[in-house]
Amino acid sequence: MKSRRATHARRASERLRLTVGRALLLAAIVVAWELGARAGVIDPYFVSRPSRLAQTMAGWFAGGFIYRHIWATVQEAVIGLAVGIVGGVLVGMVFAFFPFLSGLFHPLIVVFNATPRIALAPLFIVWLGIGLTSKVAMVVSLVFFIIFFSTYAGLRDVDVNLINHVRVMGGTRRDLMRHVLLPSALTWIFASLRACVGFAVIGAIIGEYLGADRGIGWIVQYGESMFDSNMVIAGLLVLMVFVATLDGSLGWLERRFSHWKQKPL
Amino acid sequence: MITVERVTQTFETPAGEFTAVRDVSFRVSAGRFVSLVGPSGCGKTTLLGMIAGLLPVSAGRIVLGDRPVSGGVPPDIGYLFQRDALLPWKTALQNVALPLTIRGRPAGETRARAVEWLRRVGLAGFESYYPHQLSGGMRKRVSLATTLIYGPSVLLMDEPFSALDVQTRNLMENELLELWAETRNTVLFITHDLEEAIALSDEVIVLTAGPGRVKASYPIPLPRPRNVIEIRFREEFTRLYEQIWKDLRDEVQASYARATRL
Repeated sequence: MKSRRATHARRASERLRLTVGRALLLAAIVVAWELGARAGVIDPYFVSRPSRLAQTMAGWFAGGFIYRHIWATVQEAVIGLAVGIVGGVLVGMVFAFFPFLSGLFHPLIVVFNATPRIALAPLFIVWLGIGLTSKVAMVVSLVFFIIFFSTYAGLRDVDVNLINHVRVMGGTRRDLMRHVLLPSALTWIFASLRACVGFAVIGAIIGEYLGADRGIGWIVQYGESMFDSNMVIAGLLVLMVFVATLDGSLGWLERRFSHWKQKPL
Repeated sequence: MITVERVTQTFETPAGEFTAVRDVSFRVSAGRFVSLVGPSGCGKTTLLGMIAGLLPVSAGRIVLGDRPVSGGVPPDIGYLFQRDALLPWKTALQNVALPLTIRGRPAGETRARAVEWLRRVGLAGFESYYPHQLSGGMRKRVSLATTLIYGPSVLLMDEPFSALDVQTRNLMENELLELWAETRNTVLFITHDLEEAIALSDEVIVLTAGPGRVKASYPIPLPRPRNVIEIRFREEFTRLYEQIWKDLRDEVQASYARATRL
């Protein structure tokens, strides 16, 4: 008991050291950047400087300029993510249970998945306009395939032993689905979910970058067209915080649903 | 009762047709503990798979009680697999409760019976552990409880203890005998370990090297209750072992010769 408490205390102090260390590292980077820009070692025209960025961003939030742009990007990413996930899971399930369909569509899926989605973005804008829909389509085209492949693999790669175990105890197809196949697929889907969030934001930003009237991608693109590196970097910073928040909440969700898994040593 | 009548199993392989078992017939009377021994590759697992309805029979007939096995898993059987088959995303309690859950039993009763069965296999207090948090022997106990909780009248066991260390294995064998003395299911136990087969069974059936056929069958008239460790010191045990081993040895050698020639 005593030793467990000691281990616990040691872990806590390690965590504290890590947190303090990270904060110091960040502070050092910011200070070096600021001083370097002020001393003229690095050119603030290209890289701005932290105090100006802070000022710009404070202005965006205080003046209310930024909210509609964040909202636009959130909307595109979240709707696209939802459609991509639901579509990927459904199609993955259908293909896993109907091998003929899977064989029929396999070449098509491979070709689509191999197509660089960035090249599709201008087409989406031509087809669907510069509004929300074209960005959602962009996000879906990225997320769908990741989830589709995970669902398919999760359903096909189930240990036959587990299936037989549940069949022998009297399990019906529905029981197999509920107790074996879906939980197995879910672990695969969760494993790819975080990658999907990253891709969803990339999809939304690329869409905005190529043709939009709002969104964080639009801010960055607008800043570039004005040669305003301050605006570009401030836009990117907003984006970073946004993605980190999303990723963090997904990590939390993932831990909640995979508590049965063995932790890597 | 298990009746296996002239059962044959052939598989299509890239090298042509492969016969796993040929013309196998035997019978396990209700409430008896019978072991099948044979060299590796003699089709023991294939036989069990057919009895459990997991594999179709190529020729012949299998009857459980008075119901022929055809087109699916017969009701009222239990199967303890060689490898762990516990669902990794369910706790020990949820795993043991699963057969009752899929039978739609009320949640309260299901829980109470699962707790009771975990206690009977010596795992009280481990209800909320996940399989990966348990040792190999503990996982085997959970599997055993999962198989016994719904009281199947026929119990098929495929080398269930072969992956355990010797001490754990002997403990588990004794516990199995104690549980079986209460439940008295009809047991068909597969093993390649002749000592284990004699120590546990009422009858030992020897299979030939693949394709498996029944070579001989020996009643084991040792008294019960037995202790699997101590029973090995009895003279009758040694005598039975020598007698059956003479049969088995030729088959093991045949199997080995074939494996090394390949």
